[in-house]
Amino acid sequence: MTHPATASQPTTPPALQAIGISKAFVSGKLHTQVLENFSLRIEAGELTLISGPSGCGKSTLLAILSGLQKVDGGRVLALGSELGQLDLRALERFRLQHTGFVFQGFNLFPALSAFEQVELPLNHMGLSRDEARARARRSLEEVGMAPRMKLRPSELSGGEKQRVAIARALAKEPELLFADEPTSALDAANGQMIIDILHRIAHAHGTTVLCVSHDPRVVVHADRVLAMEDGRILSDRRTHAPTNDSKGT
Amino acid sequence: MVALARKTLIYEWRRFLPAMLAVGFAGLLQLLQLALVLGIFGSTSVYITGSSADVWVGYPGTQNVGSGRTINPDVESRVLMDPAVQRVEPYIWVDGDWRGPHETGGISVFVSGIDPSPEGLMFSKALLPSLRERLAEPDAVIVDRSVLDQLGVNIGETATINGHQVTVVGISSGLRALGGVNVLTSLSTARELDGDPTDVGPTYLVAKLRDPKQADAVAARLRGDTAFGPYTTWSARDFARISVRYWMFDTGAGAGVLFLAGIVFLVGAVITSQTLIAAVNGSMREYATLNALGVGVAALRRVVLEQAFWVGALGLLGAGVLGIVLMLLAHSQDVPVVLNVPAALACIALVMGLAAVSGLAAMRSLRRADPASLLR
Ligand SMILES: Nc1ncnc2c1ncn2[C@@H]1O[C@H](COP(=O)(O)OP(=O)(O)OP(=O)(O)O)[C@@H](O)[C@H]1O
Ligand SMILES: [Mg+2]
Repeated sequence: MTHPATASQPTTPPALQAIGISKAFVSGKLHTQVLENFSLRIEAGELTLISGPSGCGKSTLLAILSGLQKVDGGRVLALGSELGQLDLRALERFRLQHTGFVFQGFNLFPALSAFEQVELPLNHMGLSRDEARARARRSLEEVGMAPRMKLRPSELSGGEKQRVAIARALAKEPELLFADEPTSALDAANGQMIIDILHRIAHAHGTTVLCVSHDPRVVVHADRVLAMEDGRILSDRRTHAPTNDSKGT
Repeated sequence: MVALARKTLIYEWRRFLPAMLAVGFAGLLQLLQLALVLGIFGSTSVYITGSSADVWVGYPGTQNVGSGRTINPDVESRVLMDPAVQRVEPYIWVDGDWRGPHETGGISVFVSGIDPSPEGLMFSKALLPSLRERLAEPDAVIVDRSVLDQLGVNIGETATINGHQVTVVGISSGLRALGGVNVLTSLSTARELDGDPTDVGPTYLVAKLRDPKQADAVAARLRGDTAFGPYTTWSARDFARISVRYWMFDTGAGAGVLFLAGIVFLVGAVITSQTLIAAVNGSMREYATLNALGVGVAALRRVVLEQAFWVGALGLLGAGVLGIVLMLLAHSQDVPVVLNVPAALACIALVMGLAAVSGLAAMRSLRRADPASLLR
């Protein structure tokens, strides 16, 4: 299963690349080496899934690849930029222009309507008011939340909230979308819908989606599944998701 | 732009209410303290501000109205010779010991001997002409409404001052004194009450000018003549200022007020910033999410500062409304409270300063909005 994909890869540059990175946390006397001499390539336009036991370093890897956390050693390349060389401001700018996030908690502002949640980050991207609103409307439509876009988080279900959070990330039209356990707070049906949306985003927009999840349903939809344990990649499988576009053409 | 700061403030007002209350009460406390201080210390110059004299003549070095010494009565003719002067009259200050008809013990009173004629300058703004007229009777005195209980008298009753019998013929209002009780009487009665035989002249001479604007120039011109023994002159405004300053600073009361103001500010700042920090912390995960999406910390800080500004503005509004109500209440109870524009501005500055300090403190807590912490 791994052969055909790996053969065709080296021609296009990876969206994300970690080269010999290491990361440790020190809290008091406890020294936790989460990643050591870890290397990984994430290809563009794919839904890549990372799964593994709790505490193995999945979230830490995601934070490092998305520029939220610094590495102790090694290099991280995202869309060709070396993240280690960017200062805090430049990292913020990089994230503003290129990345979207979906978290386990939806982290929506209680005071804002769904529409405003999505519009807010766009205000900071230097878009015109009309452009920001048009984009916000479009991405809410894409996740099927257009009819409920005037509602506040307290009036939305968990699945609806997560769809708003996805719309918020999606409206930025990022090249990279990171999701950490996006379905674990949701029931089966809602989780399935979120997975479908993430999969569609990767294939319709060519967005690189990196998702951390235990959810077996995600495994089915992912283009590539990385199994992680103790800071190492145990297995790297390419799957053919049911709605894989490349299969038909 | 989505007005995040204001929308959050309105929708989650309960979270910001403690901060608003803290700011408001700190402002109110400061406002009332200032009004009381202005009222109480302003009353130490009521002799000057309640009269229509433009120039005061008294003993050199006098620091407040109550500590004057007699001057040569002939100075009066010297003052009258100045063409700018329209009217001169003596003012006699006598420290007295009051014994009321009821058991009140001895009370120290400040006897003001004034010219009871309708044109009289002293207390012309504080006494109605009809009331003033009654002082023409021998041994007649007027006392303030606020001290009737303290003196144990009422209108028509008699008492003694320095062993001399006097009759209360009228009741004034707004003539409170600090450290004693004001008693008004005529010049001739005041002379009789004065037990010191060496006091021959008046304590002060007060003069009205044809043009009140010339007070400073005339005061300067009348000064420095030693032919009639020691005396000096002040414009009414200067003398009032000297008097208030004496009470504020030389008595240590002013330092106490400043100290209290500092404490109020400090306590207010601590409570306000803590409550504001708590309110901001409530949105920390959302702020961290925005930061993950690339919204800069600087932009998030602006949101927090804007919230601090609104907290200050709303706290100020509350303090203002409550302050006015309390001031009216105080007035109706004869509590001396005065508020002027500089004092009100000082309170506004204090409240907004509190809000700004608290906003800065809350802004610092944004450092905890580490987006990596959302990934756990
Ligand atoms: N800020 C931190 N300080 C100290 N230790 C940390 C910190 N962040 C992570 N760790 C440690 O690093 C290890 C990996 O954490 P990480 O959050 O990446 O795990 P995970 O694979 O995402 O687990 P889970 O599936 O439970 O979310 C854990 O042992 C954790 O205790
Ligand atoms: Mg995790």
